[in-house]
Amino acid sequence: MTQSTEPPMVELKGVKKRFGDLEVLKGIDLRVDRGKIISIIGPSGSGKSTLLRSINNLEVIDEGSILLDGVQVNRPDLKGLAFERHINHIRQNMGMVFQHFNLFPHLSTLENVTLAPRKLKGMKASNARELGMELLERVGLADKAQSYPSSLSGGQKQRVAIARALAMQPKVMLFDEATSALDPELVEEVNRVMKGLAEEHMTMLIVTHEMAFARDVSDWAMFMDGGVVVEANTPDHLFSHPDQERTQHFLRKHLGAQA
Amino acid sequence: MEFDFSPVIEYLPTLLQGVGVTLLIGLAVAVMSVIGGQIVAVISLYTRKVVNWPLRFFIWLFMTTPLLLQLYFLYFGLGELILIPAIVVGILGLGFHYMAYNADIFIATIRSVSSGQYEASRSLGFGHLNTLFYVILPQAFYRALPQLSNNMIIMVKDISVLSAIGIGEMVYVSQYAISVTFRPFEFYITIAVIYYLINLMMEAGQTRIERRAAYRR
Repeated sequence: MTQSTEPPMVELKGVKKRFGDLEVLKGIDLRVDRGKIISIIGPSGSGKSTLLRSINNLEVIDEGSILLDGVQVNRPDLKGLAFERHINHIRQNMGMVFQHFNLFPHLSTLENVTLAPRKLKGMKASNARELGMELLERVGLADKAQSYPSSLSGGQKQRVAIARALAMQPKVMLFDEATSALDPELVEEVNRVMKGLAEEHMTMLIVTHEMAFARDVSDWAMFMDGGVVVEANTPDHLFSHPDQERTQHFLRKHLGAQA
Repeated sequence: MEFDFSPVIEYLPTLLQGVGVTLLIGLAVAVMSVIGGQIVAVISLYTRKVVNWPLRFFIWLFMTTPLLLQLYFLYFGLGELILIPAIVVGILGLGFHYMAYNADIFIATIRSVSSGQYEASRSLGFGHLNTLFYVILPQAFYRALPQLSNNMIIMVKDISVLSAIGIGEMVYVSQYAISVTFRPFEFYITIAVIYYLINLMMEAGQTRIERRAAYRR
């Protein structure tokens, strides 16, 4: 990737993660520059979701370091409340979108979006409302502001989840299989919102099974298998002429299945 | 046998006083047992064993012994050591009893909130306590509502047990009226009808609350 004098937005050095005896990340290095979009593809169990969750510290890594805009995310030296304060602050700069949306069902769509800015940034109710409506407008759901999540379709829920993550004005957005739980006809509306973010130069890490979308939207693509990065390249190269046999095999199987 | 409801009408003010006492105790116990139940549930789920084992013991104790025994213990047993007014013992006794039952419900509904909710909240930057307060507990509360309101309907009927320690609730005042007028049937029927009406109102309230809560779960 291109080197710049600014620190990369996200940087991983030698990241290792074990679940019991199973090593799911075997030393991952990654550098994401400002405004760049990285897609991570790979078979189930390859460690791609764990990698993304580690960046947000939803999984605690065993070795290595993760930096967000030059600030270290994992801090083995901090314990208890000190780490809690540190990670809460860090997480406010990262938006995370989950496969199963995880909208708060007891809050209206607008309240879902405004909860964090109101409670964490102390934003005034009127300002939060304005911001919330602006974001819902952006994901095309301003008319659903007063609806509850239970009345929304999967695609609408995921768009609200994206708006909720954006409300904290994060430096980077992490998408963990954001469209995997959606009916095929609903995938497009979510992809469109993500493309919109790409056009605004939001730094994004996207774990996905949507090969065409990954190819279309990203600046860099990574193929993971067995806890290692097998191959990383420009999407054109990775998807058209992958160098590694494992990548070729995966893409053949996957694109074959999609066709 | 002929029914004569004129003594009931004569003693209506006394009966209504009993109704008032029942409703007042019901309200106090509801507030105490719902708020307390949540606190007990949170502490027993999220603290170290030293703290939560005594609480679990408390829940177990109040759920496995009869309410009447608990009241006698508090009133006559503890009464040996310290003099507490009957009404206070009644509210506390019934309050603790239903606090245990409500805590049991809250423990189950808090556990039923998916880990994804916790993660979504944490990923936004909320700490553990804020997540509990803004995300987990409200959802657990909405989920608990059906069982919670059932408990409260049973609780209102259990207030009659407080007559055993001389609290002037509905059954107690009717006993008094019967002892003067010798018309047990008329008074018991009247009291039963009043209980039925209170229940009817509570059920209507329950339906309304649950309808509003349904789409928030």
